[in-house]
Order: sequence, then structure tokens, then C-alpha cells
Amino acid sequence: MSTPDPLVVQTAAQVQRLVDQAILRGMKGLEFVTAPAPAVGLTPKETLYQRGTLQLYHYLPQADEVYRVPVLLVMATTNRGYVFDLAPGQSMVEYLLQAGFDVYAIDWAPPRPEERHLDLATYTQDFIPTSIRKVREHCGEPDVSIVGYCMGGVLSLIYAATHPGGPLKNLACITTPVNWAEMGLTRIWSDPKHFDVDRLVDTLGIVPVDVVQASFEMLRPAQRTAGRIRVWEQIWNDEFVKSYRAFERWGNETLPLAGEYFRETTKELMWGNRLYTGELRVEGRLADLSNIRVPVMHAIAEHDHIVSFAASKPLLELVGSEDKAELVMKGGHVSLIAGPNAVRRMWPKLSSWLAERST
Amino acid sequence: MSDDKRSSDPTQRFREMLTEWERGFDALANRFMGTDEFSRTMNQFQNVQLGAQKAFAEAMAKQLAALNLPSREDVLRVGEAVQALETRLARLESRLGEIGESVGAQPKPRPGPPRTRRPPERQDPPR
Repeated sequence: MSTPDPLVVQTAAQVQRLVDQAILRGMKGLEFVTAPAPAVGLTPKETLYQRGTLQLYHYLPQADEVYRVPVLLVMATTNRGYVFDLAPGQSMVEYLLQAGFDVYAIDWAPPRPEERHLDLATYTQDFIPTSIRKVREHCGEPDVSIVGYCMGGVLSLIYAATHPGGPLKNLACITTPVNWAEMGLTRIWSDPKHFDVDRLVDTLGIVPVDVVQASFEMLRPAQRTAGRIRVWEQIWNDEFVKSYRAFERWGNETLPLAGEYFRETTKELMWGNRLYTGELRVEGRLADLSNIRVPVMHAIAEHDHIVSFAASKPLLELVGSEDKAELVMKGGHVSLIAGPNAVRRMWPKLSSWLAERST
Repeated sequence: MSDDKRSSDPTQRFREMLTEWERGFDALANRFMGTDEFSRTMNQFQNVQLGAQKAFAEAMAKQLAALNLPSREDVLRVGEAVQALETRLARLESRLGEIGESVGAQPKPRPGPPRTRRPPERQDPPR
């Protein structure tokens, strides 16, 4: 009896696999179209404080013994905070809780029309200090560590630079822009030669979701289409689809922005680059990053299309801390906190860095 | 060798082609959108929209005023006044907390797991 040609066997196996996947694709396609929005942010939590756009959560501890210093996550103002807690097994919050941290999070609800006058000072001299006070009252500890993501990192930096006396214990920033001259297309589109930020803010009050979302999507115009094709091709893969749907939901739930905050960010940070030059003043206080002396960690994504590597890289040079660490990873802006690389590298690094400084 | 293997798997090849297309399209679009011309046109378009929106809002406000009804701006001002009160209360609360701290009043922590956890021992690399 002759042995079958290995090429024929391999081809037959491939054809069989493609047929199986095509059948599953047909079956799962309908399910995909009709399924409700995926559940996100499932880790048990309580709302500790709420005022307008500001939401402060406390996640229920999942360890029998926790580190002394609580961790406060500060979300970017453009998106919902459940990216920290996308799904069980894909949740930075869950990871930190199981590693023994007491975790709190600042999330942002869409600012209401009457919140159009919120500015950088409101976020950094009111919302963050108030949240820290609430955390301290709740857990009874005098100091707090902060982990800020993207603009949440910028707000945390401004807070830290204007409150050098504490009670901040450690500061971890994730993909946080400091040199806004390196913001690429975003900077070109908001060039003061053409972009009339005053007109936009004075007319609309709140910068609408469409504008914020378009500015993100235009950076990668093919991403949505390619994503759809990818999910169609892998629709038989439940894990892939689950993750895709959670990310898609998160991407679609972009937040509008308070007009004054947007105006100030554009003028002071994007045009003036004052966080980088050390000239930023918030409520009369100088937000010079060299004022920051607490331990600082910065996680940067090499292929970040929203905050370029060059925009976030100089952070550690600017802070005055002696204890500072940088983690450069291959991922993108979002995969750094919720993608496979986050699970494998970023969360463990962040957790061990915090653990050593949280007793 | 690896190229032959890659091309023999149609699914893998498809994924690679999709990634290449995405990268190529994005790069091309970004080159176009990164020009001064694009920025000017995009912002001109936005200004026209904003102008129309402003004119419509002003016309609507006049109509509402003629009907003796509050405009959106009037309602927003009331909302802002409430929000300002809310902010003042929060600041007062914060100030009271600071005064309490300065006289030694310690907040009572809620019951929870003991806060005594220590980081795992570092494994030194073998010499």
C-alpha cells in the first residue's frame, strides 16, 4: 500500500479546516449581528463619589491581605474607564486586585452642557485632589499611588507637579504625552493658522463626540474596515470576537469634552507646549514637572498612533524624581493597557513596581 | 522556507494581505491628511458648519424670546449656577476635611482586609 503524498494530506487538511470555518462563520455571523452590546466593567465595585462628570469608584478587594497604599486609576477624559476592566481575564483592575492592591478609579461621565466651563484647573486642582481625599477617608491611609492613562496621565502629572507636598506616594503614567510638538497629525490639524478653537468652543460649549471620535479615527482611517474584515474572517473564534466586540464598544463610546478644558488643552499644551517647557500655570500654580519627586514609572508604546513615542518619551527626563523607571513595549495606544502584551508584560511590571513601593 | 510555508496557508496569507493593505492605506491617507492644504480645507469646512449652527441657534433664541420662553443659554445659566453651588459645597467639604486633619481627627477606615501585604521576595539571578 502506497503512502499518501504529504502535500495532498496537508492540502486536504487545509480545505477541511476552511470548510469548517466557513460553516461556523455562517452560524456565528447571525449571532454576531443580533447579539446585544457586550458586558464590560464587570469587576464588582461601589461608587464612592459622584459630581457631574467625575465618578469615583472603589473596586471590592479580592485578596485576603492588601498593600497599605491604595491605587487610584485616572482615566483619560476622552474615553470610558472600563478599558481598565474590559472583561474577566482582560482586566487590569482584576489583575491588580488579585495581586493584592486596593483599587480606586476616576472615570468620566459625558460632561453635561452646564459643565462647559470645566478647565484644566477643575480637573487637576479640584477633581483629582477631591478624589484623593475621598480615597484617604475611605481606606484610612495617608498616601495614595496614582496610575494615569493618556490624558489621565497628563492630569495626574499636573496634579503631582502642583502638589509637591503630597499626599502622592507613587505615580505611574501610561502612554502620556508630554512633548506636544511631537503629536503628529493631531498637531497639524489643530494648527492655529487654520483651527479656530475659540470659535468651536464658543459656538458649541461642549466639544461633541463626533469631533473627538473623528480626530481619533482619521489617524487610522482603514482601521475600522480592516477590523470588520478581521472579525468576519475569525468569527468562528469566540475569544477573538469577544475581545473585538468589547474594544469596539469602548471605541464607540468616546466622550465629548468640556469646551474650556479643550480650549486650554489646545492653547496651553498643543500650541504652547507648556507642560514640556515647564511654563504651564494652573490656577496660578506652576506645573513644572521637575517639582515631582515621588517615584515615577512610565509605560510607552512603541507603535502608538495617538500619542507618538517621541511625544511621551521625554517624561522621565523632565520629572525631578530619583526613583524612575521606563517600560517600552511594542504595542499600540490601547493594547498597552488591555491587549495581550498588557496581560503578559505591562500589568505584571506595573504590579511589581507598585508592590515594592506600597508598604 | 518560511515564505513558502506562509504562502501555502491561505488564511494566514489573507491576514497578511489585510494587514499590508491597512498599513498601506493608512500611510497613504496620513500623507494626504498631513498636508497644510488638508488641514486648511478641513477647518474651513468645520467653520462653515459652526457658522450655520451659530446662526440657527441665534435665530432660535430670538424666536423663544418672542414667545417669552427661556432659550438653551438661559437654561444652561441656571444649570451653571447649580453646578457652581455644587462646587462650592465640595470645596467647603474639602476645607472641613483639611481642618479636621490639621487638628488630628483621623477618618475611620471602613473594615476590609488587613493592609499588611509585603511584596514577594525578589528572586536573585543565579551566580
